[in-house]
Amino acid sequence: MITAGLIERSLNHLLRQSPGATEALLRHAGASVRVDLTLAQVDLRIADDGYFSEAAIDTPDAVIRPTAALLTRLPFFGRDALRHADYSGDPALLATLDRVFKQLSWDAEADLAPLVGDIAAHRLHQFGRGALASAAQAFSALGLNAGEYVVEEAELMARGVDVARFNHEVDTLADGVARLDARLRILEIHQPLQEAHPRPT
Amino acid sequence: MDKTTHFGYQQVAESDKAAKVAEVFHSVAAQYDVMNDLMSAGLHRLWKRFAVAQAGLRPGMKVLDVAGGTADLTRLFLKEVGASGTVLLTDINFSMLREGRDRMLNEGKTPPAVQCDGERLPFPSNYFDCVSVAFGLRNMTHKDQALAEMHRVLKPGGRLLVLEFSKVWKPLEPAYDLYSFKLLPLMGKLVAQDAASYQYLAESIRMHPGQEELKTMMETAGFAKVSYHNLTAGVVALHKGFKV
Repeated sequence: MITAGLIERSLNHLLRQSPGATEALLRHAGASVRVDLTLAQVDLRIADDGYFSEAAIDTPDAVIRPTAALLTRLPFFGRDALRHADYSGDPALLATLDRVFKQLSWDAEADLAPLVGDIAAHRLHQFGRGALASAAQAFSALGLNAGEYVVEEAELMARGVDVARFNHEVDTLADGVARLDARLRILEIHQPLQEAHPRPT
Repeated sequence: MDKTTHFGYQQVAESDKAAKVAEVFHSVAAQYDVMNDLMSAGLHRLWKRFAVAQAGLRPGMKVLDVAGGTADLTRLFLKEVGASGTVLLTDINFSMLREGRDRMLNEGKTPPAVQCDGERLPFPSNYFDCVSVAFGLRNMTHKDQALAEMHRVLKPGGRLLVLEFSKVWKPLEPAYDLYSFKLLPLMGKLVAQDAASYQYLAESIRMHPGQEELKTMMETAGFAKVSYHNLTAGVVALHKGFKV
């Protein structure tokens, strides 16, 4: 119940802050969408005003499955992370949803302003954005460094090029073995003929 | 012979229950909000906010607050639906309704307040986007009839929210019983000068259907996708159902 309420509320809040988003969804008013989170399923219907409304649905028109990659990348990559969701169902509806989701943008400053005032909201927002960008950069740099250590220094993993070369060599070897196997089979077929006509001694 | 029903732990004629419940609420109306804060240590405000967050309201929507009493939910709903929306505050008890109406007037809000029975709602069918009943269903004589009426007035796709005391988590039962049957009437006596009404409150909570029973009742009344969420270890549960 909490998940459904949270998703419905968050999505509608983002739609409200993104001009043109509800107008785009209006064309699909009445259509249903299921957000499949594996442990929970949230069924939403596009209401007459272009917003999402939680609903009781048997067969949804479209299903969205956010993958683990999306959830982990969402805080750092924002809307780019949406590429990692699996979509299925009505193609026209999915195309609209994809377009709308990619244009959603959270105006945190606008949400903070009524609570702490305009100036503080602006500064907090700038600080938050800076902190998030630094965290994303640190995360990325850490990943690269860890990768470099594992591959170059500790040699626990092979480099991509080495793996590709190894794969190529395995393929060449497999082809060679297949050819040898074919020749052996031909020789085995010809063996009885030689036995039927022994050489004169 | 008249059918009987429960009034707390007592068995009374069905026709007498509404009058007895009315007596209780006439008696507690003036101190209702103070006692709510005192009894729940302010938690009732969080429970109500949680319920409103689950209502999925947007500007322009129509909401019916059944047994809305002192208008706690109505005031929160009004913020969600904005000037273009409608929130109707209703209660069967005039004293409670007057408290709620006056409170809203003092805040400069003038939503309609209607005195009516939750079991016979004087509203058209398929009219509201959301119907709520918070701490009211417990006091109704025919809960199934009230749920059917709420189902009738909801638009298809609309949702019902039932916020009500429920069955507390088993290990906490002894402490909860001690609090309900010893402390609660004492607080009622000291603050509201009315121990009997708060004794009724504790008893009526025990007689109210538990989480699963209420869910089944809502499904029987025609609601789909009924779910519930326990709050404060099941002291209170929020049930949500949709009209399809």
